[in-house]
Amino acid sequence: MPRQANAVDFWRGFALVSIFVNHIPGIWFERLTHRNFSISDSAELFVFLAGWSLGLLVSSRSAATNSALLVFRLGGRAVTIYAAQILISSIALALLASAAYAFDNPLILEWHNAAAIFQEPALTHIGLVLLSHHLGYFDILPLYVVLMLTAPAIAMLDRFARPVLLPLSFALYFAALMVPFTARTWPVEGQWFFNPFTWQTMFVLGFVLSRNTGLGAIVRRHIDGIRIAALPLVLVTALMVVWNWFPDPTALPEPKLLFLNGKSFLTPIRLLQFLALIAVFSAMYRRFAPHVPWLTEFLSSMGRNSLNVFCVASVLSLVGQIIRYRYAGSFMVDTLVVFVGVSLLWVTATVSEWRERQKAQD
Amino acid sequence: MARAAKGAGLIGVGALLVVAQLASLGPAALAQTDTQLPTVSKECGEIAAAAAPLPHSATALRDRKQLRILAIGASSASMLGGTRDTMPLLEQILERSIKGLDVEIINRGVSGELAAAAAERLKIEVALNHPDVILWQVGTNDAFAQVPVEEFETTVRDMLQWLKKHNVDAILIGLHYMKQLATHEHYQAIRASLRRIVADEGVLRIGRYESSEILARTMREDGHPEPSTFGLNDGGYNCMAQYLARAIAVGLFAKPSVPPAKPTP
Repeated sequence: MPRQANAVDFWRGFALVSIFVNHIPGIWFERLTHRNFSISDSAELFVFLAGWSLGLLVSSRSAATNSALLVFRLGGRAVTIYAAQILISSIALALLASAAYAFDNPLILEWHNAAAIFQEPALTHIGLVLLSHHLGYFDILPLYVVLMLTAPAIAMLDRFARPVLLPLSFALYFAALMVPFTARTWPVEGQWFFNPFTWQTMFVLGFVLSRNTGLGAIVRRHIDGIRIAALPLVLVTALMVVWNWFPDPTALPEPKLLFLNGKSFLTPIRLLQFLALIAVFSAMYRRFAPHVPWLTEFLSSMGRNSLNVFCVASVLSLVGQIIRYRYAGSFMVDTLVVFVGVSLLWVTATVSEWRERQKAQD
Repeated sequence: MARAAKGAGLIGVGALLVVAQLASLGPAALAQTDTQLPTVSKECGEIAAAAAPLPHSATALRDRKQLRILAIGASSASMLGGTRDTMPLLEQILERSIKGLDVEIINRGVSGELAAAAAERLKIEVALNHPDVILWQVGTNDAFAQVPVEEFETTVRDMLQWLKKHNVDAILIGLHYMKQLATHEHYQAIRASLRRIVADEGVLRIGRYESSEILARTMREDGHPEPSTFGLNDGGYNCMAQYLARAIAVGLFAKPSVPPAKPTP
């Protein structure tokens, strides 16, 4: 039986639907996603909740007993995510090639960093397998793979040297911002869109805050006070986003990455705003969930099957882009794309759970 | 020459051949600098560009003998030309043509990115990397994503004005040419919008569409089959690097119509 709807699965489902919509640039419904009112967006939520889920897994009774088994299990999860990335990248390339042929437009072969695959296939395939070449909008799973590869180390640090974990994570975060440094792409020269050296902090924060001990316990004890303190930050930053009230980046002091609003480096303002946002919104789930059970179950089912749903969402976003190109995106086309797309995400979640039930019965 | 004349007639008003800009260069400017303007190979045809000086880059050349170029937009790595194992062709040509010049190219392209997202990142990249000139490949993704023309125009205009205020020259690389897209309404609307922006803001634009279109028509008229596409291969991108090198060199030595603004503190 799938677990009951809960806040983590609900917000994760919410993040997945947002990612699906945001990954169809130009679509009308893009203006309704929370990034229009928030400095951080669904990517932060997705990574934070991935860390949170890791925290729940590590603290579960089955994982608590055997460290070797836990490391093995987390490594297996990293391999599964890696396989998912390879699969959806391959499907995306086939979709781009099909669209290029179908619409007699070779320019489509250049979309989303795909040009290198078709022009220099030998090297770029190696890059795809090594995760050093990412298709545009297919760049969050490589980060997730790296984070899951570090998950055994995070779990072991948590088990044997807990006080070191968060300081170590923040030390790496600030070093990456101040030096600065990031992961490079190859064979096309460039940088990872999501700098793994800074984004790991979001993952670790999710992990640490999910626990009922340490920082997680402190936050739970003082959550009401934290919410009151966080609310003005959420409101002010919403106004900053709506009215584009950001300081001129050239006028900021050095090291600028400490003060800029930058997604690739997950700069401190994004991190802080995200923490404030979840502090405020974490109170909402239990208030509205009883009133809209269909919605909570709908999004929670996606959240429970996040990897499958994410993979389908990534591919459907690309299909949505192709449809918008072919049929000149209008409100009607956009509505149809979102309605069919979100329905298929729900079908993915439902089928995934049906398969799980079948396996359990067998 | 006959090819250029034929092509110029075909593209009509809007894009000037950069070669015409040479006439306005002070002979002394080139003589003083041991410089040979880069040529564009015959296979690439003529470069169509709205000519414009690059005053801040010229200052960098004069004061530091260095030019820091930031490339942003889709396929920005490819448009720099060359092979993976060598330095970008653009860098090679510029350093060969202008003796003593040290060119540094920073590539921050994100494939598939719309103008609005690129503009947001561009401000950050300017703050972090202090470039003298921006190469911004813009328009194709917005056209495919059906971004409203007014929204696109506002984004690009605001960004160009911001760059001007921050003493950074800009070169726009326009949309790809493809005969199949000649009747694509939104594609052509975005293309026309880019031309308007360039005319109003006085920035340099490499008219990739026009250059390829000239080449395609010339090929047709010479009895050669027109390829289904232009520029989506190494040869095409090497042409783009040559266009860029020539346009930059011309822009460096062109006389500015107004003196560059004083740097902001």
